[in-house]
Amino acid sequence: METAGRQIEHCESVRTWRKGLIEQWGGDPLAEEPEKLVALERFCAFIGEDPDTIVKRCFRIRKEDGERVVSVKWRAHYAEKIKEFRDRSNDPDSRRSTADVLSFLIHNGVLLQV
Amino acid sequence: MEYQELIGSRRSIRFFDPKRPVEREKVQKILEACLIASCAVNAHWLRAIVVNRDDIPKAELEKMKTPVQALVVELAPVHIYFYADLGVVNRIKGSRLKELVDAGALNPTHGWSHKFVDELVFPQLLKPFTMLPNYPSMAAFDCGVAACQGLLMAFELGLGACLTAFVAPIVNEHTKPPEDWMPLYVMNVGYSLESPEAGGQRPRPPFEEQYFLGQYGKPFPRDPKVVEELKQSKLLQTPAPLPGRKEEVRQLARKLNLPM
Repeated sequence: METAGRQIEHCESVRTWRKGLIEQWGGDPLAEEPEKLVALERFCAFIGEDPDTIVKRCFRIRKEDGERVVSVKWRAHYAEKIKEFRDRSNDPDSRRSTADVLSFLIHNGVLLQV
Repeated sequence: MEYQELIGSRRSIRFFDPKRPVEREKVQKILEACLIASCAVNAHWLRAIVVNRDDIPKAELEKMKTPVQALVVELAPVHIYFYADLGVVNRIKGSRLKELVDAGALNPTHGWSHKFVDELVFPQLLKPFTMLPNYPSMAAFDCGVAACQGLLMAFELGLGACLTAFVAPIVNEHTKPPEDWMPLYVMNVGYSLESPEAGGQRPRPPFEEQYFLGQYGKPFPRDPKVVEELKQSKLLQTPAPLPGRKEEVRQLARKLNLPM
């Protein structure tokens, strides 16, 4: 488990998450609480996608004006996936893991309701 | 709590104890405080429908959430949905003004009589007033005054509260208001999990940018002595963020399994 989370640590979106957590809470929460990365890694494995892809899909470029806007379709998709992840997980602490995945998304500008 | 301290201590509370119910009598006291608020032409536009969160089917509650109020709605055990009853003026036809005449609040000294209400105030002022484009906003202002009294009462009773918008088409399926009720805000009520200071008094724009004397552009002078007095009375309190606020929020996030 010690190396868990290391594979995704260098993804741009994970670096953004780390930076957001540091700015918000001080210290280095991802280093202090490695279970956060583990939770994200487990979610990525669950849906078979990497963190950068998840974040990228949550946004789209609006044709009319070229603005980067939230993709309602993909947001809804990931909200469903996160619910499945929470409900199917055997982890007794699945609500905490779900919160960690949501935290990753929030610090990348994606707010999901689950 | 003293009045000035009560105003100064109110915060928009966003972390409630989701399992601690709010006593019915406290909800009634909130509504009673709304009812006695100052009200134009004694019309009483404000209407409220109290909903216990746990009485809302889970699927419906999910639909009632928006990205910015989802957690507040989920945590608060009581939702007080506020509406403006836009039809009230034409239904009561000045009768509540006449009650004020009978009660000695409106007197001939100021030109008031039943005949004045029946022949001038209602037909020539109030009825046309309800057809003005800004009538709903005037009514909403009045409702805000009343709701604010209820909000302060919640804090007086040791509760926490937060006003948020609500998704009227969905909430209305549950609350079933008459068609002429205009949806306003929901007061989310519960026992706060935050410390009483809730991180300190929240940032506000500069006083001089908000208020003017005589005409727009001439700021109302803010007397530092008055400011000092208000600090003593605790209307003005230490501004946020207080030391330890981040740790407080972090602990709340852990306790409630929320993202950080």
